[in-house]
Amino acid sequence: MESIGKTSTQLALRDPDVRLMHRVRNDEPGAFEELVTRYQHRLIAVMHHLVGDAEEAEDLAQEVFLRVYRARKKYHARSRFSTWLFTIANNLALNSLRNRQRKPVVPLEVRDSGPLGPRPAEQLARDRADQPAQCIQQQELAALVRQALDGLNERQRMAVILNKFEDMNYAEIAEVMGLSTKAVKSLLSRARTNLRNALAGYVHMDSQPVPKAPVDEDK
Amino acid sequence: MSEPPPLSDAEREELVAYLDGELDEEAARAVAARINVDPRVRAEAEALRGTWDLLDYLPRPEPSPSFTHRTLQRVSALRLTQPARRPWRVWQIAAGWAAAVVLATLVGFGGMEAFLARQPTDEDLIRDLRIIENKRLYEPVDDIDFLRKLAQPELFGDDSPGS
Repeated sequence: MESIGKTSTQLALRDPDVRLMHRVRNDEPGAFEELVTRYQHRLIAVMHHLVGDAEEAEDLAQEVFLRVYRARKKYHARSRFSTWLFTIANNLALNSLRNRQRKPVVPLEVRDSGPLGPRPAEQLARDRADQPAQCIQQQELAALVRQALDGLNERQRMAVILNKFEDMNYAEIAEVMGLSTKAVKSLLSRARTNLRNALAGYVHMDSQPVPKAPVDEDK
Repeated sequence: MSEPPPLSDAEREELVAYLDGELDEEAARAVAARINVDPRVRAEAEALRGTWDLLDYLPRPEPSPSFTHRTLQRVSALRLTQPARRPWRVWQIAAGWAAAVVLATLVGFGGMEAFLARQPTDEDLIRDLRIIENKRLYEPVDDIDFLRKLAQPELFGDDSPGS
């Protein structure tokens, strides 16, 4: 018990967000608003990358903040505050994605507008394969990357997003996702192989094209 | 000349961990050496790095202007629906539990007393000794009136068994 208290104090001294969360726990006026302001951009970005929908991302981020508020009295810093926050976000987002899979909805893709007409992205990729990647409009490339990201399963996607956009190392991702560091290493390897297979045609490479790596679904 | 086999899962994991800066010095040096000597590994590393960089094309959405306000409004609503637990309420709960424990003790004690009171004393046993000794004979008899009738000699005439 004493060691936990010691750890908490050390973390609070090092991590300003832990100090802020302690102020939220003590119901200091304005502390929670400061927390929301400080983290909303990161949280909404992660949720958006994960679910691919701005409105849903905001709803999920809001729910994460509400959970933080409800749990404030039980908060004890055992790691960085952001790790705790993204653990809540991970649980909530994965539940949401699983519920969505149980109740599939028709995606609101803009297939009938724009210069490409109603062609699926695979057709687009094939048509543009012989063109340099630079010629593809940034929005189109973003759509392809989005599609490649959606092709990953939700755990791979979460690991990629935390690694790429939150700069989390394997140990931190493992803590957020409740996995071992070894499992994260394997998860990210499979995720990056899948991304490479989906997007390799859009990367300008000087060397010889490499044979396609075996696809690991991890599903 | 046959094509070299694709990278194994373990090799690929090491390569990705190398690109992520997750390997210790010795392991990182080994992977770097392989990248330098094996064009196949080098091309794979470049492909992995290149596709990773493509993720930067994903838009980073900004929160809507009302996000903070809406979130704080929901927290205010939460405060209203979950009033803070007052100290007297805690004492009330503790007193309730204490009363329940005292009541249970009293009920248990009273029940045991009543049970022990039903047990016969030595005096009761001495008084009923004859009945207890002849219990076997009394058992077939339905009631005490029948026994009393048996004790009336006129019911069996004047003949005694010995005459």
